[in-house]
Amino acid sequence: MAVTNTPLRGLSPASPLMRRLGQSLAVLPAYQGTAALADAPPTFTEVGLRYSRYSEDSLDSEKLIFGSANRYDIDITQLWIEAPVGASWSVALDVQNDYQSGASPWFVGAQADGEPGVIMSGASIQDNRVEVGVTTRYFWADGNAGFAISHSDEDDYEATALAFDVSWNSADNSRTWSTALSSSHDNVRPTQGVIPVFIEEDGLDTQSAHFGVSQILSRTAVARIGLNYTYSEGYLSDPYKLRDARPDTHERLALSLGYRRFLPDFDASLQADYRYYADSWGIDSHTLELGWAQNLSSSLLTPYVRYYSQRQADFFNVVSDTSTTHHADDYRLSSYGAVTLGARWSILLSEQWTLELEAERYETSQSSGLYSGEKAPALVDFWRGTIALIWRFE
Amino acid sequence: MGGPALVVIDTASQARHTAETVLDQAADLLSNLESRYSRYRPGSLVSQINERSGSGVYTDLDTEAGALFELAGQLWKESDGLFDITSGPLRYAWDFQLAGKASPSKIDQVLDLVGFSSIEWREKSCHLPKAGMEVDLGGIAKEYAVDRTIELLRNAGVTSGLVELAGDVAVIGAQGDETPWSIGIQDPSTPDALCSVSLVNAALATSGNYARTVTHDGKKYGHLLDPRSGWPVSGPDSVSVIDSQCLTAGAIATVGCLKQRDAAVNWLRDSDLPWLLYDVGTQPIGPIAELLSSAI
Repeated sequence: MAVTNTPLRGLSPASPLMRRLGQSLAVLPAYQGTAALADAPPTFTEVGLRYSRYSEDSLDSEKLIFGSANRYDIDITQLWIEAPVGASWSVALDVQNDYQSGASPWFVGAQADGEPGVIMSGASIQDNRVEVGVTTRYFWADGNAGFAISHSDEDDYEATALAFDVSWNSADNSRTWSTALSSSHDNVRPTQGVIPVFIEEDGLDTQSAHFGVSQILSRTAVARIGLNYTYSEGYLSDPYKLRDARPDTHERLALSLGYRRFLPDFDASLQADYRYYADSWGIDSHTLELGWAQNLSSSLLTPYVRYYSQRQADFFNVVSDTSTTHHADDYRLSSYGAVTLGARWSILLSEQWTLELEAERYETSQSSGLYSGEKAPALVDFWRGTIALIWRFE
Repeated sequence: MGGPALVVIDTASQARHTAETVLDQAADLLSNLESRYSRYRPGSLVSQINERSGSGVYTDLDTEAGALFELAGQLWKESDGLFDITSGPLRYAWDFQLAGKASPSKIDQVLDLVGFSSIEWREKSCHLPKAGMEVDLGGIAKEYAVDRTIELLRNAGVTSGLVELAGDVAVIGAQGDETPWSIGIQDPSTPDALCSVSLVNAALATSGNYARTVTHDGKKYGHLLDPRSGWPVSGPDSVSVIDSQCLTAGAIATVGCLKQRDAAVNWLRDSDLPWLLYDVGTQPIGPIAELLSSAI
């Protein structure tokens, strides 16, 4: 009797027909592992338009010594298109425009009562940033590899980045390894005139490496772990802050853990993510996010809560200590805690159209943090809202 | 679901008592799935939907049943209506159990009860609007049961195992001695195997139109019916497909058997999976046939 010479293994077909059939099964736990891990370009072309508004609360008047209390608002508009090219490739183009306006903290000084207060940048700063990125991705049976290039340009800042990533699956498709390398070069030319700045032009080089593993634990559970290392060298201070002199190197290490569990009785999945971060400036932080992704009749609603806490940088003081080589009063380098409450709602309008809505509130305070340290007066609270419309067609 | 079940666990890599527990769990799972999806079981979800046909009462589908119906709908669409889980009433016009008895005159009468598009939906509940309509998850439920059993075995840590339900097979890993599992593809015209394929972490499903036939006006017809005309299809005698999952392999093989030979070949090519198409008295064709070590 005739037999096949070579053993036929688990297959990840790239045909559009099989992917269409697989989509019907993606909600079933028995197929989630393999459906999620089947490496094939998207079966459809996706065009998306997203608008986000980020709006910082005004600075409390008790903490303001001078300047405008109105802090940043940013309008972010993003347009993207991703399309399969042949049986094994996809290409994506992403264009983003950020328009920001408002005032930012210039430096922290002492008020009449001795309490620290913020001197804001005075006149409103307006800036527009445009970023264009192209990603090409190659898919084979057990994995995929992507190459991305992006360029960002604004009045006072220019950045170019290259990134390469690979992910591949184990023979039984239960485990996925991924790795990524990226490199960027930034050039800063601060706008002269609004507030005094002390450099004309400087540069910054950043290299980053990532390694991660994702493992299917059971038919309803997936876990992942990732390690990220980033090294920057160059101009790392904030040119628009008066008393800001940071080291010219910055090493960052982050460990991230994630867990997803589908709960068939609720037709929902529980999502838990944790991230530990430490850097060469003495900052370390913990981020914990819990989400609940609930399937509704033709939408997915995901409320989430995120807690963040960080330890201040070695050279941070509420009022910058300019007697030391490195010093800063930037509230982002202080010890604080922050809680974010938000929800994402993805609504299937028809087979081709999806509407995505998201809103979140971020509130920060020194007292909710895990680490001791003086309270920076400029700690920020903000709202962020997003609306996106996505069109998918074959 | 209309056939014998075989579950094999290689105990070389598995403590015997654990293997026995897993086999018990597999038997429970299969019996559970049969009691949900068999149309022969009174009280099953499928029987419930069928009994409520024409009553106006909707039946709730959970995530699992909903996904299986969605796949059925997708296959109905992809096959231009050839694969239709509502085609059951046609068997009243073609009695394949009592070979030779055919009443094509009844076709028009029963065709009115057939049509996936007439299933009524309210959120995740469905209703068959005409009394006498039926759904039958043949071509899907058995293959899904194979995948669920494989999943149960994998979750229990089994690294070498096999599940077979009436000709549909899936394997975990290779055999205990690291040689691939060797699975025979049945020759529909004889009790022997047509050929044998080597499988590792894969599933093989076969659909045939040869085993049960009916003769009408001197012409022999296979038991697979075209739900659009009510007449038996003149598709291939047997189609086998390999995929990483039995459900998709079975779906592709079933639709392949419903199509005319040329259309079946195009359909199988579109799937981009290894397949084998066989008509009794001819050479088998397809990527699996090309891999066979010797001519048949």
